[in-house]
Amino acid sequence: MSDEDFLNKLKEAFKEKIIESSIPRKNIINIVVPKESYKEVIKFIVENFNIPHIQTITGIDMSNEIQIIAHLGRSTTINVKTSIDKNNPEIDTITDIIPGASFYEREVYDLLGVNFRGHPNLKRVVLPENWPKGVYPLRKEYKPEHPKPLRGV
Amino acid sequence: MSSFTVPIGPQHPALPEPILLKLEVEGEYVVGVDVDVSYMHRGIEKAMEYRNYIQNIYLAERICGICNVAHTICYTLNVDKLYDKEIPPRAQYLRVIIEELNRIHSHLLWLGVAGHEIGFDTLFMYVWRDRERVMDLIETITGNRVNTAYTTIGGVRRDITSDIEYKIRKTMDIVEERTKYYKSVAAAEPTILTRTKEVGILKTIDAVKLCAVGPLLRASNVKNDVRADAPYAAHDEVPFNVITYPYCDVFSRVLVRVDEIFECINMIRYCLDHLPKGPIRIKLPLKPPKGEAITRVEAPRGELLHYVVSDGSEKPYRYKVRTPTLANIPALCRMLTSSGDYVVKIADIPIAYASIDPCLCCTGRVQFLDIEKDKKWTWSWEELKEYSKKEWKKS
Repeated sequence: MSDEDFLNKLKEAFKEKIIESSIPRKNIINIVVPKESYKEVIKFIVENFNIPHIQTITGIDMSNEIQIIAHLGRSTTINVKTSIDKNNPEIDTITDIIPGASFYEREVYDLLGVNFRGHPNLKRVVLPENWPKGVYPLRKEYKPEHPKPLRGV
Repeated sequence: MSSFTVPIGPQHPALPEPILLKLEVEGEYVVGVDVDVSYMHRGIEKAMEYRNYIQNIYLAERICGICNVAHTICYTLNVDKLYDKEIPPRAQYLRVIIEELNRIHSHLLWLGVAGHEIGFDTLFMYVWRDRERVMDLIETITGNRVNTAYTTIGGVRRDITSDIEYKIRKTMDIVEERTKYYKSVAAAEPTILTRTKEVGILKTIDAVKLCAVGPLLRASNVKNDVRADAPYAAHDEVPFNVITYPYCDVFSRVLVRVDEIFECINMIRYCLDHLPKGPIRIKLPLKPPKGEAITRVEAPRGELLHYVVSDGSEKPYRYKVRTPTLANIPALCRMLTSSGDYVVKIADIPIAYASIDPCLCCTGRVQFLDIEKDKKWTWSWEELKEYSKKEWKKS
């Protein structure tokens, strides 16, 4: 199935729920959806097109909101994008549809503070245990200290 | 029987990487596992936001020492996409050659480590000696053994001369012959067979469901390879086979990796035979246009993903890296847990764990530290900038 056919089928099924869509390059499809239909769209892709693979989940701090991107697919990359409120970052988990997404959601939770509703084991994955609560390193307001050069060692 | 927890790692002689496995055991059997991969987190994604695109080549390379070429290739392909310019075909072929050399060295390294994990140290010594030949070759081509920074934005840094081409062909012949011997050892030696057959089983259905990648997935009989599914560099022109084996155990993973070495050797030969003429690099401006790009490459450990968002400045707005080891950790947890007829013993942990070819440097990612400088030679940032601009105009 070509990328265009795939996108048309998806548009037919979801109509106005797909806010924006594009094919910027070969093998890449971008879809922007509201956060309410994020899970629904992913479920549809996994079940109807038989694409059980998730490449990763990216979280981006867009200053007043956080963008979540689920990259799906083996040959064609389907980027499902959605935006959530930065003050109350919450979104449904997709681990019940794709079990392999578990660690990616934990990473986004850890580094950007996004709460994935219904995740079975939402806890830290990369930051140390004593990292202060409420400090999320990948948010833009977090400025890392420049490490001091080691001298006299 | 009551169960109790046995922590293994993060520093443990049997595990080559800093990982903490909290094993839930009942007697000799492992019934549950919890993994902590946080010991190597260096904040590289944040560090990349504070550096320009050229500096980030070197940072991306330092995500991992073993598959450094995969990271630089993925990074440079990704940034190339932002500019939307055609990269010279000769550069794309050279990228394939260096990537496949990197894969040979990585797979040989893994074979050695696997031999070490099951107590077969002779194999370890033999394989690593032949790996040295490949390392020397990488040094001849790029000028360095490990962190080579061979590929750069818009192409590659050095060309291959006829002398080097001759050396590559000669070394490939030797490595091919040696690998044939190792394959005959791996397929017949009782020490290897008893320690790898039906150990660390990952069924096809589980591998697909848990989104495993790379040799781990191919050893579970799934035909999947980014080079074939979504070709990058010159992979759409270079013929190769995707190796799969149906046994789903550690033995299957040994065979997949050994056979892949033969494929790599043939790909390198094909590239040398069909190397296009022309420039090896194009000049691109320091600031890429606004936009985003996503690239996947087949690293030695599996599918590696880089994603970049550019806001039109000289530094990336957001850079995301997803390494193959992180993708394979859910599959590892399944592999290490007994269920039904399938039992995992504590003694099987090291080889089952090593069979995913773990690389936690990749998984955690980087921040770097400035070490003491000699004042006589210190340049200020402005001086360095001036120098680089001058050199840039010259090239």
